[in-house]
Order: sequence, then C-alpha cells, then structure tokens
Amino acid sequence: MFARVTPARGLTVLSALLLAFVSTAGVAYAQAKEPIRIGWLSSLTGPLSSAAIAENKGVQFAVDEINKNGGIIGRPVELLTRDTAGEPTKAVNFANQLLHSDKVHFIIGPVNSGETLATVGVVAKAGIPNLIIGALESLTNPKKYPRAYRPIITNGQWIRAANNYAIDTLKKKKVAIVGDTSGYGTASAKQAAEMLEKRGIKPVISLIIDANKADLTDEFSKMKAAGADVIMPWTAATSLLARMLNTRGDMQWDVPIVGHPALMALPVKPLLNKPEYWNNAFAAGYRTSTYDENGKLPPRTVELMEKIKPSLGGKIDFTFWWVQLGYDCVKIIEHAVIKAGSTDPAAIEKAMNETKNLEGSFTTYSWSATERDAFPDADAVMNIAGTFKDGSFQLAPTK
Amino acid sequence: MLNVIVYGLAIGAVYAATALVYNVMYSTSKVLSVSTGHISMLGGIFGAYFLAQLKLPLIIGLLGAIAVGAAFNYLTELIAVRRVLARSDEHLWLLSTLAVATMISQIMALWWGTEPKPFPRLFPQGFSQGIADQKYWLPIGATIIGAVGLEIFYRRTMYGKLFIATSEDAFAARARGINTDRIRALSYVLSGALGGLAGFAAGQLTFAYFALGFALTLNGFIAIAVGGLGSNLGAVIGGIALGMMSSFATYFFGGEYQQTVAIGVLILVLIVKPEGLFGSKQVRPV
Repeated sequence: MFARVTPARGLTVLSALLLAFVSTAGVAYAQAKEPIRIGWLSSLTGPLSSAAIAENKGVQFAVDEINKNGGIIGRPVELLTRDTAGEPTKAVNFANQLLHSDKVHFIIGPVNSGETLATVGVVAKAGIPNLIIGALESLTNPKKYPRAYRPIITNGQWIRAANNYAIDTLKKKKVAIVGDTSGYGTASAKQAAEMLEKRGIKPVISLIIDANKADLTDEFSKMKAAGADVIMPWTAATSLLARMLNTRGDMQWDVPIVGHPALMALPVKPLLNKPEYWNNAFAAGYRTSTYDENGKLPPRTVELMEKIKPSLGGKIDFTFWWVQLGYDCVKIIEHAVIKAGSTDPAAIEKAMNETKNLEGSFTTYSWSATERDAFPDADAVMNIAGTFKDGSFQLAPTK
Repeated sequence: MLNVIVYGLAIGAVYAATALVYNVMYSTSKVLSVSTGHISMLGGIFGAYFLAQLKLPLIIGLLGAIAVGAAFNYLTELIAVRRVLARSDEHLWLLSTLAVATMISQIMALWWGTEPKPFPRLFPQGFSQGIADQKYWLPIGATIIGAVGLEIFYRRTMYGKLFIATSEDAFAARARGINTDRIRALSYVLSGALGGLAGFAAGQLTFAYFALGFALTLNGFIAIAVGGLGSNLGAVIGGIALGMMSSFATYFFGGEYQQTVAIGVLILVLIVKPEGLFGSKQVRPV
C-alpha cells in the first residue's frame, strides 16, 4: 500500500521539508520585520508652513518614541516625509509617489484643506488609510472615501464655537463677516453667514478681502457704517488678521473681533502697530491647549509637553496643539495596527470604525462606520488672543 | 472715498515702479524678466532686516536695500539673461528668469520665513494719521523720484544716451563702438537699484514678505502693457491706473473682483490698443 522509503528518498524528502520550512520561516520573519511605512504630506515650506512645521515636530517625535520602544507589533515605523510647499499639484504628485512607488501603509495629510481636496480622492482610490487634517467638511465621507478619518476639528465646529461666543457670551447681534479671496476664505465666510442665519441672525455686512490688501480703512469704515458690533474673520492669513487689528486700533474703534484660530497665532504679534491692539479679540481653540481658571493645562497636554520639551530646546514658541495633533496622528496609526494585528487596509478600516474614546493628547477620538470626524464639540473652546504662553492660551471669559 | 484714492495711488505707485524696472531692462535687452517683482520683494525684506534686526541707521539701511536690489539684478543678467541671449534668439529667457525668480523666493522663504514680518517706521509718526500716514506717501515719493531721475539720466547723461542708442538699434550701437553687453549689465544694475528703492519705500504698506515677488511681477507687467512698453510715462500712468482701478473695484464690488478687474483691463487694452496707451507701434523696415 505504501511505497517503500529508501534512505536516499527519505533524505530528499527531509531536505525538501527543511527547505520549505526555512523558506516559510524566512518569509514570515521578513514580513514581521517589514517596516510600517507612513507617508507624511506636509507643507514644510511655502506660505502655509508654520502649522506644518509644528505638526512635523509631533509626528517625528511619536515615530522616534515608537521605534525606541520596539516599533508596532514588532515592526519598525518608517516615516516618509514629502514637502508639498502648500501646492495641491505637488501634493497630488507626492501622494502618487508614496502610494505607488514607496507603497506606504498609511498617509497623514496634507496639512491644508486646499491640498487635501486634491489628494483625498487619489488616496481613496488606492485604498490606503488616510488621516485627514484639513478642516473643510467635504474632506470626509464614509461612502466616497471609506478609509479617510479626520482627527482634527471641522471648520463648522470652529464657526459654531465662535458664533456661540459672539451671540451668547458677548451678546452681540450685528455681525460683520470677513473672508479672504482664497477658496477657504470665501467658502468659510459663506458657511459662517449661513450658520448665523440658522440662529436667526443676518449679518449686517459680509466682506471678501484680498489677503495681501495693504490697507483696510475702507472696509472698516463700511463695517462701522453698517452698525457692526462684532467682526468675525474667517481667514488663515496672519497678515490680513494683523492688518484688521491694526486698522481697528488706528481707528480707535473698540469692536470685538471673534473668529479663526489664526487670530491668536504668534506671527500676528510682530505685525501689530501696538501690542494692545490684540486686546478684545477671541479665537476658536481647543480645551487641551487652554489654561483653565487656575492657570493649569490638562494633564495629557502637560505630559506630552514635558516629554517633547527637551527635543525642542526647552521652549515652545509655536502653537502647541499642532504638535499634539501630529503626535496623535502617529499614535492613532499605532492603535489601529495593534487592534487590526496587521497593516491590511481592510483590517485597519474595521479597527478604525470600532475606535471608541481613544484618549489622545489633542482630544478623545471616536469613529464609526458612518462617522469619520472624531473631534468632540465639547473640546472646542474660545481663547483670548494675545495670551500665548508655552504654545497654549487663556480661556475666553464665559460671562 | 479719499482713502480709496490715496490707497489706490500708493499701491499703484508700487506697480508703476515695477513697470519702470521692466522698462529699463527691456530697453537694452528686450527681455521681460519674471524676477522683476522679486527685486522689490528683496528691497522690503533686506530693508526690514537692516533696520529692524541689525539696527542700522536709516540711510545705511536704504543704501543696503538698494545695493541688494542692484546686485540681485546684476546676477540675474549674468546668470539668466546674458548667456541665453548669446546662444539663442528664442524667448528662453522666460524660463531662465522664471527659474531665478523661483529660486530667490524659496531662498527667502527658508531664510526669512514664510510669514510676513513688519517693516519699521522710517520717520516718527503716530499710527492714527489716516491718509497722511507715511506708508502711503513713501512709495508715491519713491516712484516720482525714480521716474524723474530716469528722465534726467536718459536726457542729460552720456550713459543715458548710450542706453537709448542700444535700445533703438543694438547692432548699430555696436557698430559705433558701444559695448552693448556692458550697457545691458549697467541697465540691470540701475533697474535693480530702482526696484530695491521701491521695495524699501513700500515696506510699511506691504510688510516684508517673501511671496510678494510674483504678485508684483504680474501687476508690474499689466501696468507696462497698459501704459506701453518702452514708455516711462506710460509705466507710471499704467501703474497708477491699475492701482486705482483695483482699489475702486474692491470698494464697490468686493475683494473677489480685484484681480478680475486687473486682468480684464489688460485684456481690454491688448484688444483695443495692443501697443499700450503710450507705446509706439513696432514697424519693421523692409
């Protein structure tokens, strides 16, 4: 029934088995040690670089920390950073390179909404998980981009926080809205007006201004003539925001300015004609980078701050929430890979959809099969502009 | 409304100065350099650097900014114009000057930073001066000085006459013993100095900002196309007209129409009077 096994044939079979074992083990070993490649599309140069530079510090720190601790499920993390210079065409080219040439397992970014609008479809088509860090609502959609997850706040949440503050806390009803001529600025100004109208307030005036316009006296005269009792700017251009504060100050018109987080960004400070021109200005911010009534930051913020400070030369001279977000992006990937047990995109999607109350440094993240935006409304707060200290800000008065 | 006019005049003066820079370079090289606006960008950045960071006296800061503009434009001529003109009649200078413009923008972004930085007050003056503020009148004054100075230079000096001779017929000028290569290099130094002065004078209006170069290149080109290539009077009137129209368009229709108006004016002039308001028609003798 059974063929007789001669010593020579036995040796051959044994050799074949041994070879097969060695090959299989080799492949398994190689797979286990294959780095987890993260593509990082970051506008490290160009006009929108300050946020990206800060975020890059968080991303890089998290990667170093993970690798120092043995990687994720035994695999080292390899970070492939590509500088998009804030240009959508470059962002798309680099996204294609990362996806098809470098064969990354994840993509973080790009940093700006305009670039992300160009790349999100490209990354979705390749089926690779993408952490979205642009604020425009349309960047996430579980049907169109099933593996795109957003850890950052949305534009609507910023606007809602600022609108609520202007109406409910400052008790202002005559709103002047200002946007810049960029796609983001015009879309946000429109969205802000619509959200105000839903609350029963029609803006007394809406203005779109070129971000490089060097003089805003007429715009402010128009707003004053329209009876505005609060000005709400929706632009990330620090020069435009500084010119707004300067014009208000030079006109000696003490109308509150409430709006975009860039209003309290550090680059605004040197452009002000007088330091006090920053008074009576409030910007949308985050609970985790806000000092409470006792002057304390949340423990999770302090923890990361203490860890990262030595690598920053002991001081933090940029907005810290960008660092927190960058750090969290890598930690979210770590969480997903551990939960999925691999970097298989389908398994990662499942793991991300089942993520509930993942506590990060920036906020607490939850996603589901139908929800791709994780930032909770409760973590959106208003800050006082001009109160920068260690990358964080004071809470705006609530009464 | 008075403020709309004064702002239009001030920003128009910056465009006019850029248009004058185009003219001086074009007169000797027939090149419209893409890096023209970048000279003023350098004037603003180095002016702020010398005055605010190195704390140099005003006159040294001014001369330094002018010297940087002149040196940069001389290098542009050396690297991106001279060799290209010597080897080809095609408009390859468009690419070579674009490369210089892109490189200098990137270098400034890396060194100076990507956020605008303040330009210090040049004369003691409060900030609530309205239309009397120096930020409006300095660029207007610098452009007037530049335009008048150029006219005197062209009409009263030997080198000015050599510039005109080279502009009218470079081959004939060379036949008469004029070193046209040297004249071209001198014209780039002169125009660079003018651009540096304009950028320095406009610093308070524009801030010291690396991304200013391409915007000024475009608006200066529109000004020269409207006013007429080769005419300094046209450059000034074209620049002021563009500044005023942009200012009025923003006031009456909103900022989203500012660029539309500028480009619309360019297209209209090119259709109705392709040689510009004060330009002369190119006639080829046969």
